[in-house]
Amino acid sequence: MLRFALNRIAMAVPTLLIMAVSVFALIRLIPGDPASLMLGDLADPVSLSDLRARLGLDRSLPEQFAIWFGNVLAGDLGRSITSNQPVLALVLERFSVSAQIVVAAVLFASLVAVPAGMVAAWRQNGPLDVAVVALSTLLLSIPTFWLGLLLLLLFGLKLGWLPVVGYVSFGEDPWRALLYIVLPVATLFLHEIGVLVRMARASTLEVLRLDYITHARAKGLSEGAVLWRHAFRNAFGPTWTLIGLVLGNLLGGIAVVETVFTIPGLGRLLVDAIFARDYPVIQGCLLFVAFTYVMVNLVVDLLYPVFDPRVALE
Amino acid sequence: MTGRRLPPNLVIGGLIVGAVVAAAIVGAVWTPYDPLRINYRARFVPPGGSAFPLGTDEFGRDVLSRLLAAAATSLWISLLTVSFAATAGTLIGLFSGFARGWIDRVLMAFNDALLAFPGILLALGLLAVVGANKYGIVLALGLAYAPSVARVVRGTVLSLREREFVEASRVMGNSEAFTMARHILPNCVAPLTVLATSMFGWVLLAESALSFLGLGVPPPAPTWGNMLAASRPFMGQAVWLGVLPGLCISLTLLGINLLGDAVRDRLDPRMRGVA
Amino acid sequence: MRSVRLTVLLAGLLAAPVGASAQTLTIASKADIRGTNPGVNRDGETDAVAFHMVEGLVAYQEGGTVGPMLAEAVELSSDGRTYTFRLRKGVKFHNGAEMTSADVLWSWNRYMDPKTDWRCRSEFDGRSGIKVEAVEAPDPHTVTMRIDRPQSLFLDSLARPDCGMTGILHRDSVNPDGSWKAPVGTGPFRFGEWRRGQSVTLLRFDDYAALPGKPDGLTGGKRPLVREVRFLVVPDPSTVKAGLQSGSLDAAEVPDSDLAELSKDSRVKLHIGSTAARHAVLFQTTDPLFKSAKMRQAIAAALDVNEIVAIASDGRAKANGSTINMRSPYYSAVQARGAKHDPALARKLLAEAGYKGERIRITTNNRKSVPSFNIAVVIQAMLQNVGVAADLEVVEWATHMDRFLKGNYQVMVHSYSSRLDPALSFEHFMGPKDKQPRKVWDDPEAQALLEKATAISDAEERQKIFDRLHERMLDDMPLLILFNPIDAWATTRRVEGFTPWEGSARAWETSVRP
Repeated sequence: MLRFALNRIAMAVPTLLIMAVSVFALIRLIPGDPASLMLGDLADPVSLSDLRARLGLDRSLPEQFAIWFGNVLAGDLGRSITSNQPVLALVLERFSVSAQIVVAAVLFASLVAVPAGMVAAWRQNGPLDVAVVALSTLLLSIPTFWLGLLLLLLFGLKLGWLPVVGYVSFGEDPWRALLYIVLPVATLFLHEIGVLVRMARASTLEVLRLDYITHARAKGLSEGAVLWRHAFRNAFGPTWTLIGLVLGNLLGGIAVVETVFTIPGLGRLLVDAIFARDYPVIQGCLLFVAFTYVMVNLVVDLLYPVFDPRVALE
Repeated sequence: MTGRRLPPNLVIGGLIVGAVVAAAIVGAVWTPYDPLRINYRARFVPPGGSAFPLGTDEFGRDVLSRLLAAAATSLWISLLTVSFAATAGTLIGLFSGFARGWIDRVLMAFNDALLAFPGILLALGLLAVVGANKYGIVLALGLAYAPSVARVVRGTVLSLREREFVEASRVMGNSEAFTMARHILPNCVAPLTVLATSMFGWVLLAESALSFLGLGVPPPAPTWGNMLAASRPFMGQAVWLGVLPGLCISLTLLGINLLGDAVRDRLDPRMRGVA
Repeated sequence: MRSVRLTVLLAGLLAAPVGASAQTLTIASKADIRGTNPGVNRDGETDAVAFHMVEGLVAYQEGGTVGPMLAEAVELSSDGRTYTFRLRKGVKFHNGAEMTSADVLWSWNRYMDPKTDWRCRSEFDGRSGIKVEAVEAPDPHTVTMRIDRPQSLFLDSLARPDCGMTGILHRDSVNPDGSWKAPVGTGPFRFGEWRRGQSVTLLRFDDYAALPGKPDGLTGGKRPLVREVRFLVVPDPSTVKAGLQSGSLDAAEVPDSDLAELSKDSRVKLHIGSTAARHAVLFQTTDPLFKSAKMRQAIAAALDVNEIVAIASDGRAKANGSTINMRSPYYSAVQARGAKHDPALARKLLAEAGYKGERIRITTNNRKSVPSFNIAVVIQAMLQNVGVAADLEVVEWATHMDRFLKGNYQVMVHSYSSRLDPALSFEHFMGPKDKQPRKVWDDPEAQALLEKATAISDAEERQKIFDRLHERMLDDMPLLILFNPIDAWATTRRVEGFTPWEGSARAWETSVRP
């Protein structure tokens, strides 16, 4: 188990390295540079070259990469061009905000969606299945920025139950923090239900067709026992892997929800940094997201045998 | 064979998808008005009138014409993206899962790097390099989704390759390639179909989300996604601008998902001969 | 006098028990500020927060002229090279210290120190314009500045918000090692708290030495009436709208597309002003097609500017073909002349220019705060009417700026930021393209005229030059200026006395009813 974990971490190193190089190259391929954005259309050539020199943008690309990468190895992700804050602190702070929302939403969504998907599979093509599939498809097909605004208008404006703008962290005031976080979590929750129901249903259908289920049924086991002892336990494995994937993807894709609900999270940090061409922040964010992603999937894989005894870790 | 009823998901899904495809074909060749023609004097006309059955938007453009034109663009983008992602992902996943060893590691390192790369940045970067057009979106989203396909396919390959029938094929002296094509690939079809049908919807939505964040391709030529994103400020005064393209997306998704399930049921090797 | 005081006191007593919410003015900000160091790491949002905390010797007035702020009077020597600033007495910094010429000197030296990274240093050290040769403080309330040659724009440059108003700071603003701490200025509000990515809070400065009268640009009466001002980052315009309607935001800039809906909403008040920013259509005069003036004139004639303006501003702005804004004293009858909408002429000019149906490409950006995309859509439709097929290329802002700075476009729908003095406003797009590719109008003769206008201070002479430049610009049509955007803000009904200025909120002289 420990060897497997170490092995996986070692395998992640090239992934992170590839990420680092490609992120660095890609953002510099995009037109636009932070210095000219900071000065805007009032820029005269002299102040522009002053600023470029101060930001180190006048050096050659390999040189810039060497400096940045050297610092990263030493644990220093640099400072933000726009706010001059240390990138690592910035990323960690914003990540803790996003993580609360993502973890809560995916947790609640799995609790609802996985059983729903399994039951739908068990009653495939029956009225219950049709209803579950239709509802999940509907949820899936509403973009989060629309759903979010809808919830905001309903609960924030029309009913006045929840605050419309702003953010309070749990450290400051847990009760108020909860009020601010309800709508973003609900938005993601509803959307993820759509995603997860389909996956849980599909993997359960797979399992239900396998021979040993037929055997179990033939042996005269009650339907409940068949489902519980054989079908659902086995179907949970693949679904679990997908939950890992979903978690990773969400961290990158949460920007929309954070924009709608003015949440100072990692997604918005990244989008703002992209728009401002804040190179150190973009690089830091993406390295961090990649790292988190690798770790989440490692944990998922380590726990996989718990759900699917057929798979042993290498 | 006589009297066999077609499964309901095939019928309903097929009807919906057929209708959407028909709309797209119509939209590609003919629309009631030019979808780009603006008319300042007829802005925000609500649906129901005889001149503009589905109303007009903030520029006074005919919504029906735009929805029809958008059907063609949106479906085309989704289709291309899904085909691209599915083909690339399957090839990588099959190869990686079967080769194992260091090839698998290298491929998966690249795959995971791509997977961990947020789609927004990939889209922005590629759109900047390729140029802001629909093929930029196809490339960006295709690259973003291909790694998920690769992972699912590889997972299936890994879980199947130790099974009896695969072992048996090898023992019988069949080549690896034959084994892969004959025994493993068909087993990937079911999870792939599920993924591909989901992806089809994701593409429609991702394109919309990118437009919302200001990173999408907001061409004057409409897609359902950018119509939906553009409608947001007018949710209060012209709700049809969002509801109509939203309904188009939902309906298409529903149709494709139902059809996907039906197709999977038929393709699933264990279902063969049963029906 | 006494009775007035008593009333004020009574009002204060009556107001005292109300909840803290009525004492806070919450203003929506599109983005987080970049820093608190004025004129260093800045953008529009940052400047708007900074000018609540710091003030310069002079400041912009409502119409774009420059008036005294911390100086009570400015005298110019007869050779036009020495400015004498007489400082106001009894002005206090946020830490209680009184402002004297020593602080002005210290602030100036800090700005001119390369280590400060003041973005306007090159405007004053001779590298891209004037050189300040000497700054002296003959007595605690007088400062003199000597420049190398007469320059009509010296005070303008000092007052520019993007230069941090050349704000006078107390030395407590920096740490002992010279690094930046937080602004200790003389403005009506002092620095409170900055929650990065979320909000900046400023607190009322109780000892603020207010000028008499009403607010006048960034000078005039600037009494802080609310206890606290919070600039809250809300990036999504739809959320801003919901925030205003629910009362969680007090004031916010709103996009033109929301005006129709908000004007019907009884919960909010609209405040519409105009700005000196300019929406314009730029032609790349080095492009094979657009190097012909006829081609550019043809496009201009094909466009119904009034209609474009009406659509883009929801019928609230007026067309203005001049780079000079309509409130400026330099806005003469000549400046009011614009391009004529004449489709027949457009067709004729197109034929003369040898246009053979090539597709043209209009580049613009998708920022939500400006109607550039909408303008481009309308232009595309209007060009279709005269037989010109145009493709839109819509990019995000950073890419747009890159293309703009490199001159990499055929036709661009662009929005120039505010420049209040006419000479600065012309300078924005005039100049040699080989040295500065962002320049749109490269005409040495016009350039010579402009340089003359920057050197002289005589208003009548300058007016003549600006009028000649405007006519020449209409003839040559390197760019078609469309209109000055309106400055649309919405506040809740509780807010009183709020007036935006040049796209920014001014929290002074504004109160919030409980």
